[in-house]
Amino acid sequence: MKNTLISPKTGILFMKVGVHAQESLEAIIARKTKEIEDEGFALWGYGGNTCHPSTMVQPFAREFEHRGGNIVLCMQEMVSNHFAEQVRADDYSINGMEWQSIPKGIKVLGSRYALVIKNLRKTEEILELDKTRVAVGNSMGRSGDKYVQGRVDKACLELAPAAQDTGDQPKTVAINLVADIASPYAVFLRNRT
Amino acid sequence: MADAQDVDLRAAINAISDVIQNRPRPLREFDQIYMKAGDMVMQSELIARWADGKRMAFIGDGDAISISIAFLQERGILKYGPTKITVFDFDERICNAVRRFADKERLHNLDAELYNCLEPFPQVGRFDFFYTNPPWGASNRGESVKVFVGRGMEAVGFAGEGVVVIADDEELAWPKLVLGEVQKYALANGFFVQKMMSQLHEYHLDDAPDLKSCNLMFKAISPERIVRDSVATPKDVLEHFYGRDSAPKVRYVREKKRVDYGKANEDEYLFEKIGGT
Repeated sequence: MKNTLISPKTGILFMKVGVHAQESLEAIIARKTKEIEDEGFALWGYGGNTCHPSTMVQPFAREFEHRGGNIVLCMQEMVSNHFAEQVRADDYSINGMEWQSIPKGIKVLGSRYALVIKNLRKTEEILELDKTRVAVGNSMGRSGDKYVQGRVDKACLELAPAAQDTGDQPKTVAINLVADIASPYAVFLRNRT
Repeated sequence: MADAQDVDLRAAINAISDVIQNRPRPLREFDQIYMKAGDMVMQSELIARWADGKRMAFIGDGDAISISIAFLQERGILKYGPTKITVFDFDERICNAVRRFADKERLHNLDAELYNCLEPFPQVGRFDFFYTNPPWGASNRGESVKVFVGRGMEAVGFAGEGVVVIADDEELAWPKLVLGEVQKYALANGFFVQKMMSQLHEYHLDDAPDLKSCNLMFKAISPERIVRDSVATPKDVLEHFYGRDSAPKVRYVREKKRVDYGKANEDEYLFEKIGGT
């Protein structure tokens, strides 16, 4: 497997993915790919505060934009049994205050937040989590491999300064799905009924 | 500081449980991250003992430590505590939760005032002690902490004492940086660090479940009260307040008024009647 995902100018938004709101990953990929073809972008839904839109993802993306780089969504497939309801979001918001309707061709289900993605591709790569560190928020600076464990299944990561080689086995995760994230990067979602 | 007393732990936890039931749900975009129940009990006892007989200003208080202290005292679970507590918070839900609880439980020494700490402080020099658990400043080198601590110092007229509750972690670099910056700020404003109680509190914080906070306690070098005009926080401090190019945009969080406050919101459920009609 390749190991080309991380660089000083590429931020990684890591996420474990699987069944979501009772829909298989294969079905989600097919639907999102069609949405990107039709609308030019898709919304990749998620929850939890490890990648909060306005306090984490947006500042993270702006920081890498400022450095002349970008952020990439790297997803690790996992077996999951996500129980969120298949409730379709009607509106999205960049700041949680001003809301706009989600275009009819885009369907995002059972999520509080979403990433704005402009492409989606399957891949077989590895991410060396022990060479990354958390880039924003209250865990900023914590090593990626120590952070992504237990309840934490998402993270905004950057390349850590080169650590001394301990001779330990690298701590890697397989990345099966990759997407480029486009401005405004992450949004809040709500439904009306 | 008053002498410690034995505390009826069951009664104290049940009292804190009442306080937690009264807290509005936190808004993460404003760093409203609530302390866990056991640590609220310990913190309330400690702060009540420290501020015994004093007039106390809370610069923000989503955790509801102010209510906990007043309630534990009123119930006789603690025999010490402040004579007066005023909560200053920009979230009307929090201010109203304080007022509602004070009214229901007849807590005559507890009140709240809607106030955004980016604006001039309205009651300079009218308190003896201050308490704040501000946004911890991971992205802004502690600037957000300094803003809240600065308002606390104004509340006590740059005399008296204060405590700030901030992140404290052995491994991470940013909490150490913030602790250093805040201590420098305190010294520059006439306060010294009297005590630091490390890694005391845990939070409902899903992005950093292991991160703890400390009590950093200040005391004014001079007992002389200084009452000077309070001014708004400078714009350059606000520019990256919530991260790069993320200045605060909300003056107040307003509460949507309900006659049935505390009841589950109707958009969370519906009734399906027996027989289906």
